[in-house]
Formats: sequence, C-alpha cells, structure tokens
Amino acid sequence: MNENVFELSGVCRSFGALKAVDDLTLSLARGEVTGFLGTNGAGKTTTIKMLIGLLRPTSGTVRLFGGDPADAATRARIGYMPETAYYYPYLNVRELLAFYGGVCGMDRRTVRSRTEELLEEVELADAARRPLRTYSKGMLQRAGIAQALLHDPDLLVLDEPFTGLDPLARIHFRNLLRRLRDRGKSIFFSSHELGETELLCDHVAIMKRGRCIYHGPVDRLAGDGRGNLERLFLDVLEKGVVA
Amino acid sequence: MRRRLRRIGALVRLSLLELWRRNDLFALLVLALALLVPLSLARPFGTAGATRFYDDAALLLVWGYSIFVSLGVGARLFPGEFASRSIYPLLAKPVSRGELLAGKYVGGVVAAWSALAFFYALWAVSSALRGGDGLSLCLLQAFALHAVFSALVVAAAVAGSFLLTPSANATLLAILFPAMLFFGRRLPEFAEGARGPVRLLARAAYWIAPHAEFFDMRQRLVHGWGGVDPAVFLAAAGYGIAYALLLLLLARFLFERKSL
Repeated sequence: MNENVFELSGVCRSFGALKAVDDLTLSLARGEVTGFLGTNGAGKTTTIKMLIGLLRPTSGTVRLFGGDPADAATRARIGYMPETAYYYPYLNVRELLAFYGGVCGMDRRTVRSRTEELLEEVELADAARRPLRTYSKGMLQRAGIAQALLHDPDLLVLDEPFTGLDPLARIHFRNLLRRLRDRGKSIFFSSHELGETELLCDHVAIMKRGRCIYHGPVDRLAGDGRGNLERLFLDVLEKGVVA
Repeated sequence: MRRRLRRIGALVRLSLLELWRRNDLFALLVLALALLVPLSLARPFGTAGATRFYDDAALLLVWGYSIFVSLGVGARLFPGEFASRSIYPLLAKPVSRGELLAGKYVGGVVAAWSALAFFYALWAVSSALRGGDGLSLCLLQAFALHAVFSALVVAAAVAGSFLLTPSANATLLAILFPAMLFFGRRLPEFAEGARGPVRLLARAAYWIAPHAEFFDMRQRLVHGWGGVDPAVFLAAAGYGIAYALLLLLLARFLFERKSL
C-alpha cells in the first residue's frame, strides 16, 4: 500500500521571470486523500496542470503511476475536474459523458452503463436531458465529477471542487468523495475551504509563493497543539512556522 | 487502433453536433436557400444566356457559403476550447494532442462537407428539373474539388488559430481565399507588369498562397463544357490534399508547443 500514485521531485515551473512553482517535492500514496492548500497565486493550479500533463516542468521530474503524465496512456488512470466547469453548453449530460467516454476509448455499452450509474451517483438523472447551459454551478460541478469518474480512474485530481457550491451541495459532494475514498481511490484536490479539507483529508500540503512549506497528516494537528487546520494554515503562512 | 478510432470518432461527432446546433448557421442556411432556389429555378424570358448567368450567381453563392462555413468551423475548433477551458478536462483524458487535432479537424471537414453536399444536391436537382444534366461527371468532379478546397480552408483556419486571434485569423483568411479564387490566376500577369518589391511579392504570393482557382469548376458546370481530364483533376486534388496536410503539420507543431 506504500506505492505512490504520483511523485514530484524538485519541480520548478517558470513563466518568463515569474517562478510559479519552485523546487516542489510532493507525493501521494495509493488510497490517500490530500488537500492542496495555499493563497491565490501560490502555484496550486500550475502544479495540478503539470501533474496531469498539460504543462511541462521547467526542471525537475513528475511521475504519475511511474510514467510520464505527458503520455496519453498514463493519463488513462486519472480523472480530472477543472476549477471552472465550462463544458459544451449545447450538449446534455448524457451526450457529454458519451463524448468523454469515446475520448477515453471506451465502448458504447460500457459508456451507457457507467453513465446511468454516475447520473444516479451525482444525482443528475432527472436533469439528464437538459442542455448544460441551463445547469446551475452546483449541477455543472456534479457533471464535472461524473466526467472525471467515467473511466473509473485510480486517481482523482480536483481543482477547487467546492467553489460555488451551496451548503447542501457541499455535503453531497463531500459524501461522494468519502465514498470514493472508501472504494480505495486516491484523491488530490486544491481548495480554499479549510473546513472541508479537514473533514475529508488524510494529509494536507500548503503552498506559499510556489514552494511547499508544509506537508503532513491532518490527524496530527490536534496532537501538535495546533488545534485545527485553520490555525496551522495561518501559522504556516503568516508566521512562517513549519512543522 | 480501435481505441484511437473511437477517440477520433467521438471528436468528429462533437464537431458535427456543434455545427448543427448553432442557430446562426441555420439562419445563414435559410438565407442562402432563399437566394439559391429562386436563382437556380428561374428562366428569365427563356433566354439560355440569362439562365446561365443565374446559374453562375447561384454557384457563386454556394462558394461564398462554403468558404463561410469552412472558415467558421475551422477557426472555432480550438479557440472555443481554450476560451471555455473545456480543453483542460479533454487533454487530461488519454488522448494525445495529435489525436485531438486529427479528430477535431476531421469533424470540422465532415461538417463543412455535409453543408456543401446539401447545396450541390440542391443545384443538381434544380439543374435536372430545368432539363440539364443533373448528376453528371462534371458535377461530381466539381463537388469533389470543392470538397478538397473546403478541407484546405478548414486546415488553414485551424493552423491560423494557433498563430492569430480568432477574429484576425477569420478576417485574414476571408480575404485571402476569395482573393485567390478571383485573382489568383492573374498574379503572374500582374507580376510581369509590376516592378521591384511589388513584383517580388506578387510572384511569392503566386507560389506560396493556396490556389483556390484550381478547385473552381463553376464555368464548366454553367456552360456545360463537361468534366476535366482525370490527370488534371487528380493533380488539383493532390495539390489541395498536400497543402492541407502541410498546414495540419504546422498546426500540430504549434499545438504541441502551446502552454495551457
């Protein structure tokens, strides 16, 4: 169970003079849920883009399931949900899932059966015929998680999954992620929602100006006398206290 | 291989759905039909010359519409994905950028061809109703060369979309292709009469710019001159396919290096 699903070693990524990610070393063990925290512009989304092969690091190495994330076959084992879930507004959610299923190389019968399962799971079965342009933010997030789960990936990478969700939708979403965790899925998500992160995660990683300044288990927080994740987050970011 | 075909097939279907669910294209389609049908069916005073004039105008409309559709489809294939950020979940799937480019390109071409086939079928029916040839070798050649031209326009629009803003790309190509269609064959004459850098530019344009006029068989259709020699037809089609492939290679080179 100690096998890592991804490993980032000494990863740097620059955009011109701006160093968005600086010497980042981070890993995720199989079956682990890690929250990826940091202020705006800390390098979370850039890190996620490198992790899923959208961006190449300027230096350092990114290994995903032991392979290169730029390799399409390696990406078959990840499910990704972007921060802003703008999909194809003229499709309905069934057509969207059929499209992504085709892109994953799945056969039609499998796509159909997975679609029915997932629509029930994300509670979109009643709205399955409506075009996505008529969906609320929360419904689009659920469509986003459905497309990420369609090909039954081992690792879920979610960029700000709780953004814009109402309290009820958050509870549903949290419960969904817990069910996935219980099924042995590894989950890595960036978030500004410290409460949700604390409720869901085994580990947290905190980024500041492109560097990871804390990476450790959540359940040690109380034992460390830090009380909760919010206290730790503030200590790490404002006072520079690193565990 | 089967998985790769499924991936490309899914992208093709998406492009078709996108084209046929866009209301602005339907509006234009209705407008073009409203102009095309009366023009094709009209028999002004029973004069053959005037009928041919109307035929020519109808086919010109088909060309104009096909350039609009091909440019519209090609120029939107990728900028739309980038603007809506739907490119991120798409490229996070097990699909390479080359497959994505191929799938979206084929989808765009099939979409443009479906519109083109509709107009040529309409023209053939109206031609047959007026006692013309209807479905002839000349019409089939004209359609095939026009289809190659459409594929070339889509490829140019896709490649341009990685170099220019969507509006600049569409505007530049909307000038280039009609200009080459109407004036491409006259560029050598123009170059002969020009001097200095203008002469050089005209000659360079003749050798570099895509020759839209190679695919234009309107005059043969209108005047009933019959099809072209098969060797000429194959040379023109080969030129268009080779040019489109070069543009797609350029597009792939640019897409592979694009940071997202």
